[in-house]
Amino acid sequence: MSILKGKPDDDIKIGVYVCHCGHNIASTVDVEEVARRAKELGEVSVARDYVYMCSSKGQNLIRQDIMQLGINRVVVAACSPRLYEQTFQNVLRESGLNPYLLQVANIREQCAWLHEPGPLATEKANRLVKGAIKRVIHHSPIEEQSVPVFPATLVIGGGIAGIQAALEIANSQQIVYLVEREPSIGGHMAQFDKTFPTLDCSACILTPKMNEVARNPYIRLMTYSEVVEVSGYVGNFNVKVRRKARYIDEDKCVGCGICVEKCPWSTESEFDADLGVRKAVYTPFPQAIPNIPVIDKERCVYFLKGKCRACEKFCEAKAINFQQEDLFIELHVGAIIVATGYDVFDPTPISQYGYGRLPNVFTSLEFERLCSPSGPTGGQLKLADGREPKSLAVIHCVGSRDQNYNAYCSRVCCMHSLKYSHLFKEKTGGEVYQIYIDMRCTGKGYEEFYERVQGEHVRFIRGKLATITADSPDSETGEKLSLSCEDTLLGGLVNIPVDMAVLCVALEPRHDAEQVAQILRLGRSRDGFFMERHPKLDPVATMSEGIFIVGCCQGPKDIPDTVAQASAAAARALAMIVRGKMETGAITAAIDETLCSACKVCNALCPYGAIFFDEVSNVSRVNRILCKGCNVCGAACPSGAISTRNFSESQILAEIEGVLV
Amino acid sequence: MSFEPKIVAFLCNWCSYAGADLAGVSRYKCAPNVMSIRLMCSGGLEPSFVLKAFKEGADGVLVCGCNLGDCHYTDGNYKTLMRMTLLKKLTEQLGIEEPRVRLQWVCASCAEDFTNAVNRITEDVRALGPYKKEKVEVESGKNT
Amino acid sequence: MVALTPFKEAADMLMEAGAEKLDNCYQCGLCTGSCPWNQVRSFLVRRIIHQAQLGVIDFESEDLWLCTTCRNCVQRCPRGVEIIDIMKAMRRVITETGTAKIPDSLRLAITNIAGAGNPLGEPPEQRGDWAAPLRLKHKADSSTLYFSCCIPAYEPKVKRVARATAQVLKTSGTDFNILASRENCCGESVRKAGDENLFNSLAEKNIKAFSEAGIKQILVSSPHCYHSFKNEYSKLGADFEVLHIVQYLAPLVSEGKFKFKKEVKKKVAYHDSCYLARHNGIYDEPRRILESIPGIELVELPDVKENTLCCGGGGGRIWMDTKKDERFSDLRIQQALDVGADVLAVSCPYCMLNFEDSLLGFSNTKTVEIKDVVELICEGL
Repeated sequence: MSILKGKPDDDIKIGVYVCHCGHNIASTVDVEEVARRAKELGEVSVARDYVYMCSSKGQNLIRQDIMQLGINRVVVAACSPRLYEQTFQNVLRESGLNPYLLQVANIREQCAWLHEPGPLATEKANRLVKGAIKRVIHHSPIEEQSVPVFPATLVIGGGIAGIQAALEIANSQQIVYLVEREPSIGGHMAQFDKTFPTLDCSACILTPKMNEVARNPYIRLMTYSEVVEVSGYVGNFNVKVRRKARYIDEDKCVGCGICVEKCPWSTESEFDADLGVRKAVYTPFPQAIPNIPVIDKERCVYFLKGKCRACEKFCEAKAINFQQEDLFIELHVGAIIVATGYDVFDPTPISQYGYGRLPNVFTSLEFERLCSPSGPTGGQLKLADGREPKSLAVIHCVGSRDQNYNAYCSRVCCMHSLKYSHLFKEKTGGEVYQIYIDMRCTGKGYEEFYERVQGEHVRFIRGKLATITADSPDSETGEKLSLSCEDTLLGGLVNIPVDMAVLCVALEPRHDAEQVAQILRLGRSRDGFFMERHPKLDPVATMSEGIFIVGCCQGPKDIPDTVAQASAAAARALAMIVRGKMETGAITAAIDETLCSACKVCNALCPYGAIFFDEVSNVSRVNRILCKGCNVCGAACPSGAISTRNFSESQILAEIEGVLV
Repeated sequence: MSFEPKIVAFLCNWCSYAGADLAGVSRYKCAPNVMSIRLMCSGGLEPSFVLKAFKEGADGVLVCGCNLGDCHYTDGNYKTLMRMTLLKKLTEQLGIEEPRVRLQWVCASCAEDFTNAVNRITEDVRALGPYKKEKVEVESGKNT
Repeated sequence: MVALTPFKEAADMLMEAGAEKLDNCYQCGLCTGSCPWNQVRSFLVRRIIHQAQLGVIDFESEDLWLCTTCRNCVQRCPRGVEIIDIMKAMRRVITETGTAKIPDSLRLAITNIAGAGNPLGEPPEQRGDWAAPLRLKHKADSSTLYFSCCIPAYEPKVKRVARATAQVLKTSGTDFNILASRENCCGESVRKAGDENLFNSLAEKNIKAFSEAGIKQILVSSPHCYHSFKNEYSKLGADFEVLHIVQYLAPLVSEGKFKFKKEVKKKVAYHDSCYLARHNGIYDEPRRILESIPGIELVELPDVKENTLCCGGGGGRIWMDTKKDERFSDLRIQQALDVGADVLAVSCPYCMLNFEDSLLGFSNTKTVEIKDVVELICEGL
C-alpha cells in the first residue's frame, strides 16, 4: 500500500469533530463550547459538533471536509479510541488520507461518564481535545506492512492435539512437519484404556488417526526429535530440529520386531508408567507410529559395556547402526502450533497418602495401564501380591484445587474417576468408593455418565482424603489399606478399608515448559501453562504472532476440547497460508541511525527480540514484523534515537503541552 | 476561586486505559482534574514526559500500568517500576514533593483502583497546593 | 433448624480478630480428617469453620476450646485457611466480650499468669530457684539469656530440664544470664487461648526486661517460648536472636565440643513437638544431637516431622482438663512402646509434662522413660 497523502511538511489543516453521543456526552459536557474553543486555535480549520459522529452521516461530515476543504489532520472527540478508532481511520483511508493522521480524544468514557455535569467536565474535555489537536500536528503517515507467509506449518507434539492439527492442515494439502519427542506419536491418549463418557476404547479411536498421519503425503513426521531453536517471525520461522539417534536406520527397518525379541536386556516401560517392562531396543507400544524401534543408549549393554550386538546379528534388513549420531535439521515454516501436552503430578510429596511406600496405592495413569488390555497385566486388575482387588477407593483432586500444589482444577479427574469406578465394577464386581470434594461433570453427556455410574452402586463420600495407612495383614483378606477422611455430609470421620486406592493426580505443565516458552517466546500464566492471547476471545493464539497453542499445554482439558482447539489452530494457520501474507502492526519502533550510539541497551530490553545489532553499519535496527510498539526501547535509549510510530516523543510531549496549557 | 489541581495520567493501552474506560462505563465518579494520556505500555514512559508535565504547569503526575505479572508485553511494567523508582529520586531532588508523582497498577477490570488513584492524587495535590514550576525548568530543558 | 440470617457482626468480629481467609474455605473436611482429636473423639473442625463463615457460631460450645493449635490442618489446608487464627479469634471474642464461659481450669491459669507471671501461681521471686543447687555463677553481663519457660522453672517433675540445660551450657563454655524473677510467661498459649491483651502486656514486660539486661540472644527450652519470641515479639519491635536449645547445641555437638564419656545404651524415639516441627520446621537438629550421643539407637515413631502427633498441650490445652480416654499423649506413648523405645525423647516442656502424666495411667509391665534431648546429652557426659 502506498503512503497516502499527508506529509509532515504539508500546510497543516486540522478538522475537529466533537460527538454528542446522543445525550451520553452532551448531557455532561458542553459539546458546542468544546467545538467553539477548538475553532479558536490557529491550526484548526474547521470544528464541528454532531449528534452521532460514528453514524454514516457523521462519518460523511469528516469525509466531505477532507475532500472539499483539504483537511489533512483529523481529531475526533468522542468515545474511547478502543471502540471506534478503526472506524474513523477507515474514513480517512477512504478519503485518501493516511489513517494515522487521526487522533481520538476520549471525552465519553474518561470524561463525560466519569464526572458530574458542569464547567469542570467541559474544561477537562477542552483540555483533552486541545491535547489531541497539538498531538495530531506531529502525526505523520505510517506505511502498513505485510509479510509473505511460507506455506508450511510446524506442529510440536504428537499427542491427540498435534495429530488432529497436523491432519487438518495436511488434508488441505498443505505441508506439515510433526515433531514428537518420544519414539512414537500418540501421547497420553495412547496410554488410556477407555474414554469417558462413551467408553470407547482409546486405542480404537486413536490408532486410525495415527495411521492417517503415517499415510498422509503432506505430513513429514519426525519422531524421537526435539525443536531446539526457533528464529524468524510470523510467516518465516526458521526452526532447528534435533533428530536423536535411533541407532536404527529408518529407511532400512521393516518393523519386523526381531531386534526387540532378541534383545536380552529389560528395563521399566515409561509407556506403562513403569509398571511393566520393555527391552533396551523397543517400540513403546505395539501400534506405534512409526513402527520403528529405538535403541535406548542408557540401557543398551553394548553402549554400556561394549558387548552384545544381539539385535544387529538378527536384523536381516541390516538396519541397526550403532554409529548413528544426532542430526540437526533446519525447517522453514510460516506458522507453528504448539501441542506439547502435560505431565502428571507426582504425589510422593503428599506423604500421608503413602504413594511409593504402600504398594497398592496407584496414580490415575498407572490405573489406566492396569486396565488396558495391552498393559502390563493384560487388563487384569491385580494387587501387589497378585490377588484381585475386592474394593477400590478413587481419590479426587490429588495435587489439584490445593494451593500447596496446584490451585487450579484439573478438569478431567471427576470424569475419569467415574470411568474407573465403572471399569472396576465391570472387571471385579467389587466395592468402589469415590472420595470427592465437588463433582464437576460439565461436558456433553457427562452428567448422564455420572448418573449411570451412581446407578452401579458406587459409594460417594464427600470430603478430602486425610490419610492412607496400611492395616496389619489379615489372614483372610491379606493387607488392606485404611483410608480416613471426614464425610462432610455425614458430619463425621470415616475409615474406609479397601484393597486398592487410585490417586487422581493433577495435570501439570510439562517439566520443561519454561525452556519451550523461551525457545518460542511464549508467555506463561500463573499456573505455569502457556498463555493464550486472550482467555476468552483468542484462546489458541499467543502474543507471538503466528504461534498457536492447543491442548493441555495451554491448560488442563479433556479430549473433545483438545481436538476442537487443534482444529481451531489449524484453521488459523491455514488462513495465513491461504492468504499468503500477514498484515503486521503499524505501531512499531524506528531507530534514527544518525543518532544511534551503538550502545545496544535496546537489544537486550526488547521482549520480542525485535531489535538486532547490525555489525556492518554499527547501529541497532528494528525488525518491524516482530516489534509490537511498546516503546520500552524508546524510553530507555540514552541517545534519544528510538521513537515509536504514532507514539513518538514529540507527539506525546505535544499532547502533554496541549492538555495543560 | 479554589485551587483546582491539574494532573496528567499516563496509562498503558492494555490494562490501565481499559480500566479507566471501564470506570466510565460503570459510571463511577471521580475528580475531573486528571487528564489521561495513552501510551502503549507503561514501560514506554520516557522520564522527559513527567518532567515536561511539571514544566507545562501540571501539579501532579499519575502513572498507571498493568499489575505486575500481567504486562501485555511480558515484563514492561517491571521496567516501569525500576524507572519510576529512579525518577522519583530525581523529582524529589528537583523539589517536587513525593505525593505529586504516583505509580499505581490498574488492571483492565480494576475500574475502582483507577478512580481511587485519581481521587487520592487529586486530594493529596490539592492539600499541597499548586506546584511552582520554576524548579524543573532548568533540569528538563535538555529533555524537551 | 438454624434460621440462616447470617449474623454479620459475629463474622466481622472474627475477621477483626484475625480470622484470615475464612471465606476461602470450600468445606472439604481435610481439617477434620487431619485433626488428632478425631482419633479420640469427634471434633468437626470443618463445621466450626462453616459456622464462622455464616456467623452462626455456638459460642457456648466446648468445641471452641478443643483446638490444640497443632497446625496439622493449616499445613494441609488446600485453600490456605488459617484455621488456628480462626479458633484463636473465636476465643478472643469470648474473652473480650464475655459472650460465653471460659473453662475454669483455663481461667485459673490465666489469672495466675496475670497476677504472678506464671500459670501455676507460684511466687515470682522463686522463679530462679531451680538453679540454686547448681551454684551457677550468673554472668549478669552476658548478652545471652537462658529462658527456661515457666514449667521447668516451677514444676517439680520438669525442673530437671532447666537444670540439665544449664549444666550442658556450662560444659560447652557458654556464658549466659538468667533473669529469674524479672521474667514473665512468654504468653504464647495465653494468646492462643484468646487473651490478646494479657499477651501484649506480658510481651511488653519481657521485652523491657530483656532490653534492660542488655540481652541480644535468647536460648529457650520451650518451642512455645521460641515461637512467641521469634515470630510474635519481633512484630512488636523486639530484636533478639532467638534459638531453641537444640538449635544452639546441634552445631556444638557436631563440632565435638562435648566429650562424651559414657555410652547411653538406649533405644530412643524422638517426639517432634508441634511448635518446633510444624510451626517452625525444626526436625533435624534434635535428631542430629541424639545420633551423636554414643550408644543411642534412634528409632522413628509412625508420625514424625511434619506429620507429628500432637501431645495435646498446645493452644492453652496444657492448663485445661482433658478426659482420661481422650489424651493424645496416651496414643503417643503407645506408639513409643510399639516401636520398642526405652526413651521417648522430647524437646518441649509441655510434651514432657503431658507424657509424664500419661505414663501414670499405663500398666507398669513395660514402660518408657520421658527425657529431654538435653538430659540425654548430660547422661553421655
